[in-house]
Amino acid sequence: MRFDLSILLPHLGFLAQGALLTAEACALALIGSVIMGAFVAIARTSSSSVLRRISFVYVDIFRNVPFIVQLFFFYYGLPEIGIYIDAFTTGVVALSIAGGAYASDVIRAGIMAIDPGIIEAAEVSGLSRRVVFTKIVLPIALRTSVRPLGSVLINMVLTSSILSTITLNELTGSAQIVVSQTYRPFEVYIVLLVVYAVLTYLVSLGIALLHRRLNRDMMEAVA
Amino acid sequence: MRFSDFTPFDIWLLLQGLGVSLGLFFSTSLIGLLIGTLWAVCRFYRVPVLTPVITFFAELLKNSPVLVQLFLVFFGLPGLFHIRITPTTAAMITLSANSAAFVYVIAVSAIESIGRDQIEAARVFGLTRWQVLRHVVAPQAMAFAIGPLTALLVNQLQVTSLISVIGVVDLTKIGNILNLRTLKPFIVWTVVGLLYYVCAKLLAWLGARFENRLRAHAAWRGL
Amino acid sequence: MLKVENVQKAFGPTTVLDGVNLTINPGEVVSILGSSGSGKSTLIRCINGLEKLNGGSITVDDFDVSKPKELAEARKRSGTVFQLFNLYPHMTVLGNITLAPIEVLRKPRAEAEATARALLQSVGLGDRADAYPAQLSGGQRQRVGICRALAMQPRYLLLDEVTSALDPEMTSEVLAILAKLAAEGTTMLFVTHEIEFARQISNRIVFLDKGKLLVDLPTADFFAAEGGMAHQRIAQFLSKMRKE
Repeated sequence: MRFDLSILLPHLGFLAQGALLTAEACALALIGSVIMGAFVAIARTSSSSVLRRISFVYVDIFRNVPFIVQLFFFYYGLPEIGIYIDAFTTGVVALSIAGGAYASDVIRAGIMAIDPGIIEAAEVSGLSRRVVFTKIVLPIALRTSVRPLGSVLINMVLTSSILSTITLNELTGSAQIVVSQTYRPFEVYIVLLVVYAVLTYLVSLGIALLHRRLNRDMMEAVA
Repeated sequence: MRFSDFTPFDIWLLLQGLGVSLGLFFSTSLIGLLIGTLWAVCRFYRVPVLTPVITFFAELLKNSPVLVQLFLVFFGLPGLFHIRITPTTAAMITLSANSAAFVYVIAVSAIESIGRDQIEAARVFGLTRWQVLRHVVAPQAMAFAIGPLTALLVNQLQVTSLISVIGVVDLTKIGNILNLRTLKPFIVWTVVGLLYYVCAKLLAWLGARFENRLRAHAAWRGL
Repeated sequence: MLKVENVQKAFGPTTVLDGVNLTINPGEVVSILGSSGSGKSTLIRCINGLEKLNGGSITVDDFDVSKPKELAEARKRSGTVFQLFNLYPHMTVLGNITLAPIEVLRKPRAEAEATARALLQSVGLGDRADAYPAQLSGGQRQRVGICRALAMQPRYLLLDEVTSALDPEMTSEVLAILAKLAAEGTTMLFVTHEIEFARQISNRIVFLDKGKLLVDLPTADFFAAEGGMAHQRIAQFLSKMRKE
């Protein structure tokens, strides 16, 4: 048995391109998830029971069906109804919808954790419901949700590897191509494993920093 | 393969695929539970060299994509050791290890949730480490861990769908086959998604019932 | 004029307000006294629309708080200061005070900020405009709460036990500001436990007991032996409070 990592060197650039694609897809999907998650969270906490039920069903479905099935549903299904989008966009859409289901739970918890007195103060000064939501509820909920949303992002980075099954050359897809050229699957995949682990570690560090920065003003000052 | 419509035989195909998925799910979950708990006990006993190795291993498994782990085992190991393994074997090894890593974390946190003072009290009364584990820690830890374990198992059920990528003929693979043959992605993937969904909900329901039974036993019945 | 007419409010089987009648004229300072559970805070929460009435009506300058469209107008005319401050934690002191004037009264930002800074100056917090609520003491937060309510230039200021969550030192600094406001002619409706303070600055005192309005008298009469003190409940209450 031979273990030789040096054969990967000429392919590092290609792998880096794949990593970049992963990063792009995840960044876009994160934005998509947070937006979807915010809307769905608002629907879950609304006074309309119809909205509450629809949003609950959406979250329930996309959390209990495997991502790869969701992905295939969109990738093979959308062309059938005349929507032709490339693999990258399909991947981002699928990640956003799936991520949105998890993000909505997180944001909903953040909304429900807000001190009701603060909402009362806002209502009583005459602010409309829309302004109360956009200027008070969401900013506070999102600040407290940074850490759990970070977990959603980390999960998304790992899930993005599945996009390789719809011919997208993100990190995992690029690695598969390198394997086919070097015939060294063990070396390539071990390195890939470590790269993903390092990526998620970096993301968690970034999240911790972001949480500290955003919540700095809301934390009690030491006397 | 001719493009054709659905036949009643397809239902049998789907059920076979479901059977493969469920079979792999149950066996790898069981093995994962055993190994993960063993690792946690190892940590409880603070075994010198093993504990940090296990923790490192578990972190790597948790923070990398399952798909890459599957590729590593199915494509990588045979290349390195010059052996041949079937897709099913690779799936068994990977999913068991992956589940074990998550079970390990849940078990550790469950054990640590039990106050140190209880364990100290038991030790002071002369109980050995093993007796403490068996009579004081384990019952309480189990009641604590059922919730997170159920959520983990529901997630691992979805993860089994990835074994289709390395060629195991599970429910997702059957979906692929039917999709290619009938060219009716919406129907195929909705049915496949529905089957996974129903299994996931069933699993969650069973977990909740089991949790209630465990908690009823652990609850203080009064004098 | 703020009119409370025959108000009924119940939470489930418990009646909290039972046929309460009250009128506040502009310029008056009215204190509501009573033991815990007598319905004092609930009355304020009915006036600013946080609770719905089960019976009777409340009008703020002829705007009926039970009608959603009129409630918005009523809320523009009243300002509330809360026992637990309820400041927006993610905004600076300046942001807290200027939010409603900008969004509801549609004032330009520069004007709103200038008003806010002047208000902060008058309560002694002129240099803390850019601080966050988490960095302030309880007394400072309540002073910001008062500025926030005043920034809307309300006709009626509703104060719900605004010093109950403060220690004695902070209580006196807040009470000093409220005394100044009263002297300047602000219309105020107080719910408070500070009997001495109420005696000093109120025109009228109202006593609630188990949801019923027992008396509504000018201050001097309330504390006189033949006036308020003639009621056994009131005498009991006052002697208990004095002991503390």
